[in-house]
Amino acid sequence: MSAIAAIPDHPSATRRIFRRLPVGVWIYLFAVLLLVAAAPLLAPYSPTAFQPRASLKPPSATFFFGTDEFGRDVFSRVLWGARPTLVLALASAALGVALGTPTGLLAGYFRGKADEVIMRVMDVLMSFPALILAMFIVVMLGSNQIIVIVAIGVVFWPRSARLVRSVTQDLVRREFVEAAQARGESTFYILRRELLPNIMNIIVVDFSLRIASAVLLTASLSYLGIGVAPPTPAWGLMVRDGQQFLQLAPWLVIFPCLAIGVLSVATVLAGDKLRDFVSRSNVLSSA
Amino acid sequence: MLKLIARRLMLLIVILVAVSMLTFAIVNVLPGDVAVAILGETATPADVAALRTRLGLDQPLVQRYIVWMMAFVQGDFGTSLSFNQPVAPVLLGRLSNSIILAALVLIAVVPLSIGLGVVAAIYEGKAVDRIVSAASVVGYALPEFVIGLTLILLFSILYPILPGSSLIEPGASPLSRPSALVLPVVVLVIHQIAHLSQITRASTIKALGSHFVRTAVLKGLPRRRVIWRHAVPNAMPPVIAEIGMNFGYVLGGLVVVETLFSYSGIGQLMVMSVETRDIPTLQATVLLIAAAYGFGNLLADVATLYLNPRLRE
Repeated sequence: MSAIAAIPDHPSATRRIFRRLPVGVWIYLFAVLLLVAAAPLLAPYSPTAFQPRASLKPPSATFFFGTDEFGRDVFSRVLWGARPTLVLALASAALGVALGTPTGLLAGYFRGKADEVIMRVMDVLMSFPALILAMFIVVMLGSNQIIVIVAIGVVFWPRSARLVRSVTQDLVRREFVEAAQARGESTFYILRRELLPNIMNIIVVDFSLRIASAVLLTASLSYLGIGVAPPTPAWGLMVRDGQQFLQLAPWLVIFPCLAIGVLSVATVLAGDKLRDFVSRSNVLSSA
Repeated sequence: MLKLIARRLMLLIVILVAVSMLTFAIVNVLPGDVAVAILGETATPADVAALRTRLGLDQPLVQRYIVWMMAFVQGDFGTSLSFNQPVAPVLLGRLSNSIILAALVLIAVVPLSIGLGVVAAIYEGKAVDRIVSAASVVGYALPEFVIGLTLILLFSILYPILPGSSLIEPGASPLSRPSALVLPVVVLVIHQIAHLSQITRASTIKALGSHFVRTAVLKGLPRRRVIWRHAVPNAMPPVIAEIGMNFGYVLGGLVVVETLFSYSGIGQLMVMSVETRDIPTLQATVLLIAAAYGFGNLLADVATLYLNPRLRE
């Protein structure tokens, strides 16, 4: 929290975070990428092909996680389900931060009327509970993956904007911003080159925490049957479909639930680790 | 203080009007015809035209909004397309079921999470704290349906002691079958405690490190009194604000939990209206939930004001 550290140090803010990340976070990131890349190779069966003779088989050496009512291999489906979950979570978190950062920067930099107008609009978006706004948008705009990304991005937008705004408000009063203004730099330059690098650490942390809540939101949406169509091996959807066989074939629910649980706990932990690391490390300018 | 509350109330009204416009606009202005969306792509043009007239879609937009809004304020939420009866009675009946569920959750969550958070703060870094924090991460990270299905598997299939479905007869009060409420309430409570106890913990740790607590200790006050009368009350404002915010998560969580347990509340109604493309019901539900959420936040703000004498002036 030292004032000296606030001197803008353009190219390296994000790079420093990555260079000095704790090992745990690296291992986690690597495992996730591996899972996404290798899922189709590791899956012993097709995630969608029916095998009527092998329906509702319990877990065994042939079918690690058992099979569903159509004889589809649950293990393969769980593996294939990792990719859409991660893509949705990453893309929607990125969209939310991409929308929220400029909005928050503008509101924080201009203050006064512009700030008031921008933040009231954000308040309107904030006045819907997250899941309900996402549901509503997907239902109204059409059920496909792109719309799900847009919907969750819009849910994150005001939350991200508020955070960025509050940090920017503190920075705007610092001398280096005043200096840039006195030099006659354009507003865009000040936002892009003076303010943005100084809040980069906050944005990176925000992004990682958004991924965690995006995993949760996408899982809940697909559990409610929103935004995904049946043959797709989405984890939430698998749970929803398997629920009717809860007594007879609990593995249909247990394994996708386990996959969701492992991924979401891991993302939350990685996000927390990153936040602790960033707030502890004084290599970074503390905004 | 009254002036502040009045200002906050005005703001809520302005925001709710904007929310109603958004709810209205997203259905009416954005690409795609509502009538086509309801009937599906295969509908004949004549059917679409008939439904458009029935929904009043052939009127100008602004006029439609005003008519819809005036009716809504007077308690007429339109006619449900799937039940073919007014939305209002269905919605209000289910709303009271959801309120019962949410109230039970709140009654359990607040003392439990404050208690756990304070205990974790007192024993900061010790085993108790670590266990509470680790459990919180898990409870916070897992979606409600995962927690719910785990509990169903454990307590209604493996050891059948609680019902896994909370179906109630239409018109009956959910309180007439208390055992059916246990699992839905527990699911929401677990999710909420995880978050709130951590906020309480952080806030209490901060209060315990402050000068006035050190003064109280040095004055020779008993430890118990220092903690509960000096530290905890001062740690409460952020917790209360968070409870207000959490109202939204409870409402969102209700959608999932009610669907999971087939509990006839407002969340299940929302999912049903999505499945049947019952737009008037969906609109009314979303607007009502947004209003409830806004009101919850307002209550939290008022409580924060009330607890902080400095802000009252």
